[in-house]
Amino acid sequence: MNRRTVLSAGGALAAGMVTVAAAASQTFRTDSFVSAARASATANGGERETERLLPGTEHETPLHAIDAPADGPTVMVFGGIHGDEYNGIDVANEMADWNPDAGTLVVVPETNRVAVENEQREGIDGDLNRMFPLDREPITDLARGIWDAVERYDPDIVLDLHRSLGIFGLHDRYVGQAIFHTPDAHGDNLATSLNEDLVPWYMPAHRFVARESTQPSPLLFKKAAHELGSTAYLFETTRFMLDRSTKNAFTRAAAARVLALHGLLEMETDTDMDTDTEVAR
Amino acid sequence: MTITLRRVLASPATVGTFLFLVVPFGLGWLKTALFSPLALPGYIIYSIGSAIGHRLAPQFELWVYWIPFVAGCYGISVVVGTVYEWTRAVFTR
Repeated sequence: MNRRTVLSAGGALAAGMVTVAAAASQTFRTDSFVSAARASATANGGERETERLLPGTEHETPLHAIDAPADGPTVMVFGGIHGDEYNGIDVANEMADWNPDAGTLVVVPETNRVAVENEQREGIDGDLNRMFPLDREPITDLARGIWDAVERYDPDIVLDLHRSLGIFGLHDRYVGQAIFHTPDAHGDNLATSLNEDLVPWYMPAHRFVARESTQPSPLLFKKAAHELGSTAYLFETTRFMLDRSTKNAFTRAAAARVLALHGLLEMETDTDMDTDTEVAR
Repeated sequence: MTITLRRVLASPATVGTFLFLVVPFGLGWLKTALFSPLALPGYIIYSIGSAIGHRLAPQFELWVYWIPFVAGCYGISVVVGTVYEWTRAVFTR
């Protein structure tokens, strides 16, 4: 067989594989939890306000508070604690337009505003998520401003949105595709629901894992759990093999599920999620 | 039929195996929604390779492992091509 034959056969094979792969690939379909979170505000008449944290400083950043008509817990969501983790920033900005059915949703999309503008992990004073020591005053002005808002809203649930470079358990030191949570949280249910609904079976390394986080460390979600008794989650997706829209889809789906698990969303579809979701229906 | 080095390095089985391992995975790398079951072999090879590489040399970003991935896939393809050509030679004697 001459070289031309091999090359043309190889080209035809590659074209065939591209066609088959494109046809067989999974389009990340509309997620019922996200649809419920986005449902029209006119139906439930929620109220929303935007305030500025740290006004008049270089750290000035918006905080959105959405009050649903029915009573329920307060969920506080943070994006952009690390300025180059766009999934958290994108999704938290979207969440400012979500419409929970009960409770209060408080969103800070660009927590470390300077880091977000510079598209860097750290801002002026280093890594913001190491500035919240337990039982002590936060270390920097920015951290103190953020913590003042957390104390004021006294959230029942805290969700911090992040992105890692690799995958937890596969790549040393990286924590992607993992949900770290306090013992009273629904981490396992959240991971199971994401895996069943979003992660294709042929991407096994990308299945989410949930881990209880009990070691003391100066992270915002730990401080909220320790000092305010909040149920807290730190969500991590990964840059490894995932494009921006997929990272956002995973993050958006996780955020919507946290709202559902804690009774802020009334779900109309059957789900595999546990009792709190059942109560929320 | 004689099995030559040139034939093994560029046999249809070698080229086909290489394309099968690299093309579907490469599509998924470009756009995650294009990952398909066809990408699974390449996905597993890349995942394991990057885990080993990252343990040995954690200073490198994970996209760097495309280089050993492509080389490794070609190595696997040559083995498949050799087996194919040898089998073919045995049955055409």
